[in-house]
Amino acid sequence: MRFACDTGGTFTDLIVEGDDGALALYKAPTTPDDPVLGVLDALALAARDRDMELSKFLSQGEMLIHGTTHAINAIITGNTAKTAFLTTQGHPDILVLREGGRIEPFNFRIPYPEPYIPRALTFEVPERMDGEGNVVLALDEAAVMDIIGALNAQKIEAVAVCFLWSIANPAHETRVGELLAQHMPEVPVSLSHILNPALREYRRASAVAIDASLKPLMERYLGSLTERLTAAGFQGRTLVLTSQGGMIDAMELASEPIHAINSGPSMAPIAGRYYASSECTEPNAIVADTGGTTYDVSLVRRGRIPKTRETWIGQPFRGHMTGFPSIDIKSVGAGGGSIARVDDGGILFVGPESAGAAPGPVCYGAGGTLPTLTDACLVLGYLDPDYFLGGTLALDTGAAEAVIQEQIAAPLGLELAAAAAAIVEVATENMVQAITEITVNQGIDPADAVLIGGGGAAGLNSVFIARRLGCPRVLIPETGAGLSAYGATISDLTTEFRSIYFTTSEDWDEAAANAVLAALEAKCQAFINGPGAGAAEHRIEFGVEARYASQVWEIEVPLAASRFQGAADLQKLIADFNAAHEEIFAINDPSSIVEFVGWTASVACKLTGSGGGRLAADGGAEHSGSRQIYFEGAGIVDTSIHAPAQLTPGEEISGPAIIETPFTTIVIDPGASFHLANAGSINITP
Amino acid sequence: MSEKNSKLDGAKLAILSNRLGGICRKMGNTLLRTGRSGVLNRAKDFSCCIVTKDCELLTAEESLPIHVLSGPDLMARSMHEFHPNLKKGDVFLHNSPYHGDSHPADHTLLMPVIDDAGVHHFTLLAKAHQADIGNSIPTTYHGTARDVYEEGALIFPAVKVADNYQVIDDIIRMCRMRIRVPDQWYGDFLAMLGAAYIGERELLALGAEIGWGTLHGFTDQWFDYSEKRMIQAIQSMPAGSATAQSTHDAIPGTPAEGITITSKVTIDTNAAMIEVDLTDNSEALACGLNVSEACTRTSAMIGIFNSVDNSVPKNAGAFRRVKLHLKDNGVVGIPRHPISCSASTTNLADRIQNSTMRAMAEIGDGLGMGEIGCFCPPSTSVVSGTDPRNGKPYVNQLFLGHTAGAGAPFEDAWMTMLHAGNGGMCYIDSVELDEIYTPIRVTKRHLIPDSEGAGRFRGAPGIEVELGPVDCRMEAGFVADGNIHNPLGARAGGAAAHSDQFRRLPGGTLERLEQCSQIWIEDGETLVSIACGGGGYGDPKSRDADRVLRDVAEGLVSRERAAEIYGVIITEAMQIDGPATRAARAE
Repeated sequence: MRFACDTGGTFTDLIVEGDDGALALYKAPTTPDDPVLGVLDALALAARDRDMELSKFLSQGEMLIHGTTHAINAIITGNTAKTAFLTTQGHPDILVLREGGRIEPFNFRIPYPEPYIPRALTFEVPERMDGEGNVVLALDEAAVMDIIGALNAQKIEAVAVCFLWSIANPAHETRVGELLAQHMPEVPVSLSHILNPALREYRRASAVAIDASLKPLMERYLGSLTERLTAAGFQGRTLVLTSQGGMIDAMELASEPIHAINSGPSMAPIAGRYYASSECTEPNAIVADTGGTTYDVSLVRRGRIPKTRETWIGQPFRGHMTGFPSIDIKSVGAGGGSIARVDDGGILFVGPESAGAAPGPVCYGAGGTLPTLTDACLVLGYLDPDYFLGGTLALDTGAAEAVIQEQIAAPLGLELAAAAAAIVEVATENMVQAITEITVNQGIDPADAVLIGGGGAAGLNSVFIARRLGCPRVLIPETGAGLSAYGATISDLTTEFRSIYFTTSEDWDEAAANAVLAALEAKCQAFINGPGAGAAEHRIEFGVEARYASQVWEIEVPLAASRFQGAADLQKLIADFNAAHEEIFAINDPSSIVEFVGWTASVACKLTGSGGGRLAADGGAEHSGSRQIYFEGAGIVDTSIHAPAQLTPGEEISGPAIIETPFTTIVIDPGASFHLANAGSINITP
Repeated sequence: MSEKNSKLDGAKLAILSNRLGGICRKMGNTLLRTGRSGVLNRAKDFSCCIVTKDCELLTAEESLPIHVLSGPDLMARSMHEFHPNLKKGDVFLHNSPYHGDSHPADHTLLMPVIDDAGVHHFTLLAKAHQADIGNSIPTTYHGTARDVYEEGALIFPAVKVADNYQVIDDIIRMCRMRIRVPDQWYGDFLAMLGAAYIGERELLALGAEIGWGTLHGFTDQWFDYSEKRMIQAIQSMPAGSATAQSTHDAIPGTPAEGITITSKVTIDTNAAMIEVDLTDNSEALACGLNVSEACTRTSAMIGIFNSVDNSVPKNAGAFRRVKLHLKDNGVVGIPRHPISCSASTTNLADRIQNSTMRAMAEIGDGLGMGEIGCFCPPSTSVVSGTDPRNGKPYVNQLFLGHTAGAGAPFEDAWMTMLHAGNGGMCYIDSVELDEIYTPIRVTKRHLIPDSEGAGRFRGAPGIEVELGPVDCRMEAGFVADGNIHNPLGARAGGAAAHSDQFRRLPGGTLERLEQCSQIWIEDGETLVSIACGGGGYGDPKSRDADRVLRDVAEGLVSRERAAEIYGVIITEAMQIDGPATRAARAE
């Protein structure tokens, strides 16, 4: 038996995969003060469901895969370690200046962001390398010892080290690491050339700063998780999800905790990729994960999940860049709790302000006074006031109607239903813009993509979004309400190795490129023999980050093979690069020299199943009938209600319709149609 | 909803505005990611915008302010004037400051958006500062050029460069013969063309989807909405009139006392109008600092909009509530050919904005700002030479470090403003990237303690950057300002420290350089750039003591300065001494 447990902002989702492959989904409230408790609570729900003692239930588990928001929460709330930053002499303000840039150039009410590590805890180390790795100024070890004295005196809890050009020659960083280990053995250290060997000193510096600051608490958290699971009777392996969309052993992650920042959300595209490949013919997928406050969009491009090197914590230019590649996820403040308002000029806005879980939407009756997207969906009839979360939370339709009438309909001069529809439309447009932005950046045409909806609210406007974007298909997987946890059940043990080696199509040196690839492959093999031992299968993928001469932003091109064998292989790589450039940017320049900068090898070891598990039926077959629903353009329509258990696989049904389970509601607009797929998904033609 | 002039509701307006903004963002992304020169792909010195068929600015999402508030309208008008019969697939190159461009270094591609029926609906602009434009010397800011002939740039007043989507090679060949490092220029040109094509494709698709009538109906309504928001914003301001001045340091070609810009601002809350009068300024001068009409207009508007609720859209609708008075053939105003406007986007343009913002501040607390720091110090030189590592020539503008932000009425400076007209939109170069692409070493880049303009909300500290060529000599061009006339504060706010620039000789000796220089730095020498921060806003003695403490703890302000200027007494143990502070502040 395997457990996949994703701690979200509101709920801790657990999927239990039985030895027969059958799945069961549980949701327990997240306990922010002690998130391990929420994990244990969810496991207890599952044990109770099987009439078993928790210890006996846990003893049957081989593996627990965990997604956690602990790292990101610590950063947002400022509860990270007291961390020092060691930098090359003369360059103390790397974390202050960052890379410049701003949004909203006329907004002078936004404070300039504080550096991730204050200047007061920044120390300049006399040393300097150049871009070729030559020593320009030797490391002054006596000065380093003075700094170590100061660090001890200030009771520093973690140290981040980033020197200019440590990626060209790591000797100075390495030596400082040794001195710190020798003289401050209890204090964790992050070195930039090891953690994130990439060009651009701010990105490396920010990465080590964030990583080091997370080490003490993530070591405690992950240690506590494994200890308490063991104490409760679990004897299996504990793995944690990473921002790169894979998983690694919990204590491995504790040594590079920056990889836990997008733990959890990165799993939605893993699940999406599985469903896209197994149930759809479209080459690409847009995976939308809905929550109470945010809407997270990720992509699948021909079976690969695109990554970004620019991952921001907080808003771009106002937060901190992790400097680290991660699965490209675009997150906007648009969710069920997003607040609608009409400004002085009569324009309707929805979000990014959110009513959150408390007080929540007005219809929750928990003190909310501002109209939200959920209230609008209730007014339109999308939500059943008596069947929300399977009937565990009764919704107050009258209160939702009153607040929308007063705050939205009246100032806009619209009827109530039209005003509620407008709220949904504006929120939808925010979601559409998020999708547009990420598809633009990654060069994906929505007309070639299936829209996969996850999270409890995905079904409410997915048809609308798909129509707006021109997506030919919408898929709401059976496990949609716990999409990230489901992704975890099919994720691989993964890691990625990078190497900087600069060469060009003009000065191409095949032997040197092959040597870089061979070194990367050896690292992958060591991983396969180590943490990956016993995997059912494994694979290594090679890629190169390339650009035209004098461009500075690379695009990643997969390599067809693990080594180059002759000029034809280089020509193929150049052709692939030209094609990728045109796909993303509408132009290419085949006459230009192509530069190859970063080489990557990612290794994936299959420890889990390969998908295909079905959720055990959860009843709901009796949930049927019809209700009055407002659709823009059609007005109020009597709409039939379906439970998936009543549907015949493959039978196409025309909208308008509602498909409802205790965890989710799917709205099928007039003109759209849907069927239940064999795998349990709702497959919609918008 | 395809019916013409059908009234759109607030939701539809918001959606369409967002979609048009999305087109600008998409164009900008293409430019950044595919540009070849550092000024594009590292510094992001470019803008993308949409103007209506009547040449009115519709949206310029996330652009550099100085590039767009006015200029796109003027350039589009000149395109219509010179090319009355526009065709689908036409693209025009425009960099003439005498016909609406900001300055010759900002090459702009204009692409009319024309449907299959041949009807022109909108015009797209992609404007990008070039690494080189064929000036007589390797810089895009020729401060001392006595006229456009000495300046030397190729000037393109809306010249057709593509016909039916095919590039007209005649123009490319001309540019290749005149612009330094022509492959780099051509790569940037392609990046701009890609941006224009992507924007056109998107806008055509949008028009086809919702109907052109609806889209034009939207623009009318959106302008009305924007005007209404602007009226409300002005009516929430204090009424009044004030005049302020800002002085640029002297360089060759200017009077010995420098150039003083005078801006008179009048806020009329009854009429809901703001007027800026820039007529009380000198005649055009025989130097490259004259400000183009586009930049004069834009600068006055930036001075206003920096005090207007940020959510008011910046477009032709809001601009209806702004009235500008410009001087014909003034040093700022409407320059006439062949006056040089080489450095028109930065030096004196910033002085227009600074004087306008300080005049706003004089009208009432809550308006205006301190002076934003001066451009362009040696850390933002245009550098050129031959790279000894590959024997190839190079030319590019560095953006190696800038602060310049000024204290504002409600918050401390946004530190990395670059200069007033930039609004902080440009990036700062990675030292490592610059060292790869240019044969230089950057030995220092750090903030300068005690150099901020003090205030209730303080300006940014200054920044020192030191760099030199590696195994070669390097030519550097810059037009610095702020050595004599450092950035002033507003409403009793303090001034920022002065700028300076030096050559460091191999022995370590510093040799002061002229502020406006085109010089060779030899192997073993370095260029030392001391760039200004920004002025403060409000009395420093009224600054929140905890903010002062934080600045001291962070090493930005010394304890001595905290006591003397801010009246905040901080102990050696880094605590605020409450009684001593109260006493100091009561003085």
